[in-house]
Amino acid sequence: MLQLKSMLNCIDNSGAAIVECVMVVGQKRHASIGDRIVVVVQKQRGAHAEGMSASSNATKVKRGDIRHAVVVRTRQNVTRRDGSNIKFDDNACVLINKAGDPIGTRINGIVGQELRTKKWSKILSMAPMQA
Amino acid sequence: MNTAPHSLRPLGCLKAGLRQARQQRALLCRQMATTTSSTISSSSQTAPDHGFYKITDPKTQRLRSAFAVYSPSAIATSPSALAPLIQPSTSSNPSGALARLIVSPASPDPLPALHQVQIKRMDPTGARTALFAKTRHAARVGDVLMVTHRRGGEPFAGVCISIRRAGIDTAILLRNHMGKVGVEMWYKIYNKNVAGIEIVKRRAKRARRARLTYMRQAKHDMGSVSDIVFAWKKTRKVMTTRGGGGGGQRLVVVLRRRRRRGSRSREMREGVGERRGRGEGGVDGNRLCSCYLFC
Repeated sequence: MLQLKSMLNCIDNSGAAIVECVMVVGQKRHASIGDRIVVVVQKQRGAHAEGMSASSNATKVKRGDIRHAVVVRTRQNVTRRDGSNIKFDDNACVLINKAGDPIGTRINGIVGQELRTKKWSKILSMAPMQA
Repeated sequence: MNTAPHSLRPLGCLKAGLRQARQQRALLCRQMATTTSSTISSSSQTAPDHGFYKITDPKTQRLRSAFAVYSPSAIATSPSALAPLIQPSTSSNPSGALARLIVSPASPDPLPALHQVQIKRMDPTGARTALFAKTRHAARVGDVLMVTHRRGGEPFAGVCISIRRAGIDTAILLRNHMGKVGVEMWYKIYNKNVAGIEIVKRRAKRARRARLTYMRQAKHDMGSVSDIVFAWKKTRKVMTTRGGGGGGQRLVVVLRRRRRRGSRSREMREGVGERRGRGEGGVDGNRLCSCYLFC
């Protein structure tokens, strides 16, 4: 249930750590897993946290940048077609460019399986696991 | 050209009027019917003769329609509706019938019966019901469960935080950590996509809460259960070599094979014997972690 002012974790290696939702793209309701949102980068990931190899990626976005992102985890329950429900302990997203390709090259953390139905196959293939 | 609809209209009126009269008559018959149910039942079985299209019920081969009026005798076949019929049997006059109509108690809640039918259909063996029944051997809140999905994919394991008992909608809430993030999933236990629910580890002591939502707090969080599941899978492999059906025979075969291998055989045999002993000990103590796979 992400909307204006919602704060999310960014789980890719684009360099953003915490982003704020400023718009939900293409719909007039709150965003869920697999929905596209526009975010402002609020906190950058420290270069030391990423390690030396990722330090070049860490400069991809800076604090105050406005980017598009895909929601990959929500605290709100997401109901599946077979009646099962999934809920995560945090809200998380992955930054993408306007064309829909991910900005980072790696995703650390689990992503929701709803991305498959929403056709985010690139993000799914980058993710270490999905639930 | 204009005259044609005018000429048709009186006929249409007549048709509507006749239809209404017919329906009224049917209703009247239904109200008065106690002893003279035979005539009404015959009329209802030969299809209510209104002008709507008729559907044949595939099971009973009787005509059904959205506006069909069923006779009291047909209703009385169900035991729940029988009771009010028997009660005023002394007075079979129309006033008694009217009194019966007014006094008749509300029919019992049909939902439990419906749930029973649905559960019977979704769980013919009764394994799912037994797994979450309120018995000693059943899975309880606080146990570590693993749900296998029919669509493939990794089975989801987690601590059972709560069991929502609601007939056919009965569901369990499992919580686990996957890559530092807590994940909770609700599973309907009668879902056909849920191929199996296995008890990986039982809680040492019975939980004194029905819903362990406090396990979401960092202080009480169990963290990832993957270690427990991994250890359990290892022991399960041992169990499967012992075999489900003709377990004893297979054990012998395994032993012989290992004896042939030479120097290592003795340790292996001892290992198997020890495991076997542990298994036997676990059978009578019901704390043995059991596996329920639905086929």
